[in-house]
Amino acid sequence: MMHDDTSAADLLMGDVVRLEDVLSRDAVTMVCKSFFALFGLPVRVVSHEGDLLADAHQERPLCRYLNTLAGGEKACANTVSAVRDVEPTDRAIVHPCFTGAVYRVAPLSYQGRLIGRFIVGPYVPAGTKKAPSSLSSVDSAIDAKTALAHFAAMPRVRDDVAEKLVAHMQGMLELLVFSGHRAQLASTMQVANVRENYRELAEKNERLKASFAELKELDKLKSSFLATVSHELRTPLTSIIGYAEMLESGAAGTLSDGQSEFLRTIRAKADQLLGLISSLLDLGQLEADSLRLNKKAVDARALLSDVGSTVVPAANRGNIRLEINVDEDTPRVHGDPVRLRQIIVNLAENAVKFTPEGGEVELSAEPGSLDSGIADGLGAALFRSTQPAVVLTVRDTGRGIPEDKLARIFDAFYQIDGGTTREHGGAGLGLSIVKQLVDGHDGKIEVTSEVDAGTVFVIKLPAADDDA
Amino acid sequence: MQVDFGAKELTVKLVYYGPALSGKTTNLRAIHWLAASNTRGELMTLETQNDRTLFFDMLPITVSSESGLKVRLKLFTVPGQVMHNTTRRLVLQAADGVAFVADSQRSEDDANRESFANLKENLAEIGIDPERIPIIIQFNKRDLEGIRTDEELEAIAAQSRATIYKAVATRGYGVVQTLLGLIRETWNNLETEHGLEEKFGINPTRLLTELESTLKHDPRQRGR
Repeated sequence: MMHDDTSAADLLMGDVVRLEDVLSRDAVTMVCKSFFALFGLPVRVVSHEGDLLADAHQERPLCRYLNTLAGGEKACANTVSAVRDVEPTDRAIVHPCFTGAVYRVAPLSYQGRLIGRFIVGPYVPAGTKKAPSSLSSVDSAIDAKTALAHFAAMPRVRDDVAEKLVAHMQGMLELLVFSGHRAQLASTMQVANVRENYRELAEKNERLKASFAELKELDKLKSSFLATVSHELRTPLTSIIGYAEMLESGAAGTLSDGQSEFLRTIRAKADQLLGLISSLLDLGQLEADSLRLNKKAVDARALLSDVGSTVVPAANRGNIRLEINVDEDTPRVHGDPVRLRQIIVNLAENAVKFTPEGGEVELSAEPGSLDSGIADGLGAALFRSTQPAVVLTVRDTGRGIPEDKLARIFDAFYQIDGGTTREHGGAGLGLSIVKQLVDGHDGKIEVTSEVDAGTVFVIKLPAADDDA
Repeated sequence: MQVDFGAKELTVKLVYYGPALSGKTTNLRAIHWLAASNTRGELMTLETQNDRTLFFDMLPITVSSESGLKVRLKLFTVPGQVMHNTTRRLVLQAADGVAFVADSQRSEDDANRESFANLKENLAEIGIDPERIPIIIQFNKRDLEGIRTDEELEAIAAQSRATIYKAVATRGYGVVQTLLGLIRETWNNLETEHGLEEKFGINPTRLLTELESTLKHDPRQRGR
């Protein structure tokens, strides 16, 4: 809002404050000049405050002659000043000159308010035959013959014509005021609008910023809560698993076949639950930025072989070919071996899970580079810095991920669809953890996918310094 | 309201509000057409190419009272389209009274309701109490099909604080009544708040009669 703003207050009432605010001096001067050229009548436009805005005239020989005389010059100045002071309100006023000529002063009003006036003249009313005595007596040195000759040469205008000409000029000037006012209102309104919109947006941004900060704080609380709860859940569960193992090993006496089978189920389900809780704990720690990475140089071939041996039983069950390819120039990865394994296992398990029978899953490693600095666009080439990296790829020939879902697969708890979840299980945490672990290693993960053709995850991780 | 004691001049701002295409500009056009030419100025419209109001329309009407006081009425319309809310709020500033032009068609019920809520919201936003500023309602387009019936309008009038007027602005029907009604309520309100009668020695009845006579070309009155 525009409180205490004077220009705004005028705008609010849609009023013209000063004639010169809405009347272009150039435009009004051109109109006056054209009027003078057409009718030979001088015109002056004066604002309500008395400022001369336009003046189109040529000194008449009579006036020029009188100005050479001391008395004439004085009388002339007095007349001009008196004419300038005439303030007509609703109709034109005819003001006489000592020479016998007259000035016609007409008001300019707009929206019920006087905003200025204009003066037409001097001219001699048609029918005036004789000059008044005030002309010849204005100065003792006046040459009456010269003065009268000049008087005779003054333009003659009939009253009714003068009235029409003045009305015409009045209409023209008021139209100029109207269109000038219209343009002024439009531009003031435009500026006021921009200012108001800017203020509104700035306020909204402030509110968004505050609520964003609040949400961030809440999110942090949530993550730390998640980490704490997971930790508290894991402790009793570890005991449950431990005691189940002891029972299974016969530490509390021999078990029947039925009891053994039940215990195996308890173990399997407890392991599954432990996996889920571990994921939650990881996520909580990752989101709360409290996960510590124990980084060292990790051999990519060993890493992929280890992962391969973990997923091969599942691959075999699904009749899926598992292939591991490692370029011999691949440097070692600078990372936490446990977390790197977690990343690749997660992706590889997913790949196997979503690849139909007879399909193929490939794990590969090769040398590459990692960009940092400005990602794209202007300056990218100038300010980008690259570092040696290891490119790990997990490729499958599975069902693929629809394009519109790709952007969300790294969100925690996100499942591509309910149907898939029921078929394949999982809490939707795997990829979120993978993404955060990769980020934690200052790496990058990208995914490309084609429905019913397969998915490719490409992870770039910094190479260990020794190998760089 | 603006008062210039030196010039013995009082300026009152009246705003025509309402949903898009309800006939606000048409009301002003009709008043411009009906008002005696020596009292009204030119109708200024700030519109886009397709005749939709962009910023506002403005029609000045000036009446001289017997006491010598000049009363200047500034009639404004706001742009009805939803996207122009900032402009509506700017135009509403310093308003002394509001005529809400509603579209009588049933299909426009939601638009009317939303626009009225928007009016109240904007008034509150600029520091004008919506419960205190004079607001009258005009149900326009009475000549169309599928409109709210007279009985319905009467029921609305019975429940509402605002006086209700009926109009066909395209033909000038009801337009003057709406304006006079708005002036009367606005005047009463200003009188209560500022004591105009005492300060300026204006007789409100006479002023209204004078205003009425400047709007004497009402075709409805002519037709009867």
